[in-house]
Amino acid sequence: MRTAPTVALRGVRKAFPLAGGQRLEVLDVVDVELASGSWTALSGRSGSGKTTLLNLIAGISRPTAGSIVIDGEDIVAMTEPRRDAFRARHVGYVFQTFNLLPALSALENVMLAMMFTDAVARREHRRRAEAILSRLGLSARLSHSPARLSRGEQQRVAIARALANDPPLVLADEPCASLDAQTAREVLTEFWSVCRQDGKTVLVVSHEEAALAAAHRVLDMTGINRAVGGRASPELVRPA
Amino acid sequence: MTVLGLALRYLRGRLVTTALTALSIALGVALVLASVLLTRGVEKTFMESATEYSLVVGAKGSPTQLVLSVVFRMDTPTPNILRATWERLASDERVDVAVPVALGDAYQGFRYVATSPAYFAAMPWRQRSFAIARGRFAREDSIEQPSYEVVLGAETARRTGLQLGDRFFEGEEMAEYPLTVVGILRSTGTADDRAVFLTLPSFWGMNEVARKMQMKPLTAVLVRAKRMSDLPALHRQLNLSQETQAVFPSGVLLGIFNLLGLAEEVLALVLAIVASVVVLYLFVSMYSAMRERRREIATMRALGARRATILGLVLLESCLIALVGGGAGLVLGHGIAYGGARLLASRAGMVADPFAVGLLQPAVLACVVIVGALAGLLPALSAYRVDVEENLAPLS
Repeated sequence: MRTAPTVALRGVRKAFPLAGGQRLEVLDVVDVELASGSWTALSGRSGSGKTTLLNLIAGISRPTAGSIVIDGEDIVAMTEPRRDAFRARHVGYVFQTFNLLPALSALENVMLAMMFTDAVARREHRRRAEAILSRLGLSARLSHSPARLSRGEQQRVAIARALANDPPLVLADEPCASLDAQTAREVLTEFWSVCRQDGKTVLVVSHEEAALAAAHRVLDMTGINRAVGGRASPELVRPA
Repeated sequence: MTVLGLALRYLRGRLVTTALTALSIALGVALVLASVLLTRGVEKTFMESATEYSLVVGAKGSPTQLVLSVVFRMDTPTPNILRATWERLASDERVDVAVPVALGDAYQGFRYVATSPAYFAAMPWRQRSFAIARGRFAREDSIEQPSYEVVLGAETARRTGLQLGDRFFEGEEMAEYPLTVVGILRSTGTADDRAVFLTLPSFWGMNEVARKMQMKPLTAVLVRAKRMSDLPALHRQLNLSQETQAVFPSGVLLGIFNLLGLAEEVLALVLAIVASVVVLYLFVSMYSAMRERRREIATMRALGARRATILGLVLLESCLIALVGGGAGLVLGHGIAYGGARLLASRAGMVADPFAVGLLQPAVLACVVIVGALAGLLPALSAYRVDVEENLAPLS
């Protein structure tokens, strides 16, 4: 297991161009650091920029200004192919709506993530995917297509996929928003358990009590995003 | 899992669309391949049949009719010429071989062709050879004692059902002089497969009995000159005669090919339209599949897939469909060519080799895959440009 990274955001801003040469600034976050192996929950009202921030940290989009350092490397300065490769290796992403590929089985969906990096030797892909799915209680569902899985099972597969390459940083965007309360608690518990055992740094967007309660600290996006009226320093609902 | 494995799983995931697209490609390829094989076969048959002899000498009239009737049995025979014409040519020093041919009526649609043994003789310059499949050639007979023996072309024997030793006749007056089947030729892939061969004495004997005709006419003489340099003079001399004309069969063939060229151009245009429709269908299929999969593409990008990987994935899918469709099209094309060749053989005595394998097949397959890649290029570029952030947004 590698040492989990410290994620450091410095002067990160994001603006979208509008018609007439104007720009819509959606993000202007205060400097934030995520400690290695920490579990951070990100809350805030709709439209406060939570998903945008997650996408910036994942390197899916680029900030208009600022730097995002993960594991000592500034991903903003990277070329897109380099950022893609870095993301495949260092960042696991769990989506709100699972985003499993319907043409693939549960096992293949997990193996898919390993296809885009050489973090795991090719001959080990299947064995590793089976092992992760087993840890999440899905050993009997390996060959099932997503359509034949319950929503809770689908999200477990999505979590397994995010962990497939043993990334030090795991991002989750409202992972339980599509689940009922009971299933959400179970999935979150398993998610947290696996990440803690493996020493992952986790940033999860969630309003779930369970997620907030388990977090080392909670960042209120409305508070840390100046673009939506936040203050100059992170508002820590509960310090780490 | 590899990009190829992923592409195959995607194709399997939309099996019906994939199968229909591949089928449309297969039909297009089959049509092109069958057309090329059959056209080549017909041209080869024409060329082989028409270029063995330097000249065809017959009665004045249409050169095309003369060649078509004598060489290909495709037209009504030209008027008769005198037997003396053959005898003069046979003794001409400039002539290597002069083969007399007399065309008669037909038995169940298969024309009587009377000729001399020279017609079947193996010559160094002949592109085809006659061989007996069963029985023997008709024995040489005389005008005084015709043998009334016939040798059947392969298709004639197959279609009429006549066997060795069978006797047949047409018309009550011929009942006393029935023709006897003594041999059946191997298939030559030419109009000779649809002939009933007999000797000239037998033919003239039939004419005497049936038509009370004392003349011993011929339809034409096939001539091969000893030297090419003698041909112009021979040609001119025969055409100056009031009775005969001499034509270069290859020249007539060229005229026929020129006429057929227009039909070939129309066929090529139709095939081009078919190919365009197939490419368009593949493009639409790939484009709609790509649009349906934008979220999945965005997900793969979020998992770390590079744009180039996505581009390659979509292109690979397009190429795989083209490859499968092209491969099936080659098999289907040979099947159609086989059916077409059988039809040509039975109707016109022409044999096209429906299983001729050469550079054509790999060339067609390579073209199909390249066209498949081109058809998939725009959808692939569209996939390449998918906005990840926009397409990952939760569905409402």
